[in-house]
Amino acid sequence: MLPLSLLNAAQNKPMLVELKNGETFNGHLVNCDNFMNITLREVYQTSADGDKFWKLKECYIRGSTIKYLRVPDTLLDAVKEEQTRAREAGRSARGAHVSGAGNRGRGMPQRGRGAMRGGPIRGGRGRGRGM
Amino acid sequence: MDKPKREAILDLSKYANERIRVKFTGGREVTGVLKGYDQLLNLVLDEVEENLQTESDSEPKTRQLGLVVLRGPTITLLSPVDGSEEIANPFAQQE
Repeated sequence: MLPLSLLNAAQNKPMLVELKNGETFNGHLVNCDNFMNITLREVYQTSADGDKFWKLKECYIRGSTIKYLRVPDTLLDAVKEEQTRAREAGRSARGAHVSGAGNRGRGMPQRGRGAMRGGPIRGGRGRGRGM
Repeated sequence: MDKPKREAILDLSKYANERIRVKFTGGREVTGVLKGYDQLLNLVLDEVEENLQTESDSEPKTRQLGLVVLRGPTITLLSPVDGSEEIANPFAQQE
């Protein structure tokens, strides 16, 4: 369970972000990158002393200023499940690659679009399950 | 696992000629009209107004800075002024 995979999986989920200066931001994650820079939407900002509040439509926060992020508990289960599924898929796809036999499940839809040259490339991407 | 994202996660073109609020490391804060930007988040803002005394309760003071280049690496927070407002405690009823 890597911090940034969890964050990536938290897209469109509500979260609380506290900055090093103590300000907090409650909002839904729109996007994030590997620097932990994030964009939030429908944000409630709270001042460091906790007595001023702002509503922001959206905001961008620099990753290096973040102290921590609170994400929904349920996210852990979702990510674990996704990881297991990705691992299984990776294993079966790799097996198919070697034997050439177990490729049916993936092969058939590809044959459907067989006229397209893009078919095999898509297959290749799918196996990796990269984001 | 994840290949690094090439494209920026924030599309600044949607804020072109719009007033945005920017905070810097160290606590300074300005608002200005976005005139330009690059992939390092360096910004060009016009009609820039620095908001002083953001921490204390005394009345907010501002300082006019005109046309300014903001250095990307020192920017910590960026949000559009339009659609942003100070509000009463939105969490009070949930306590």
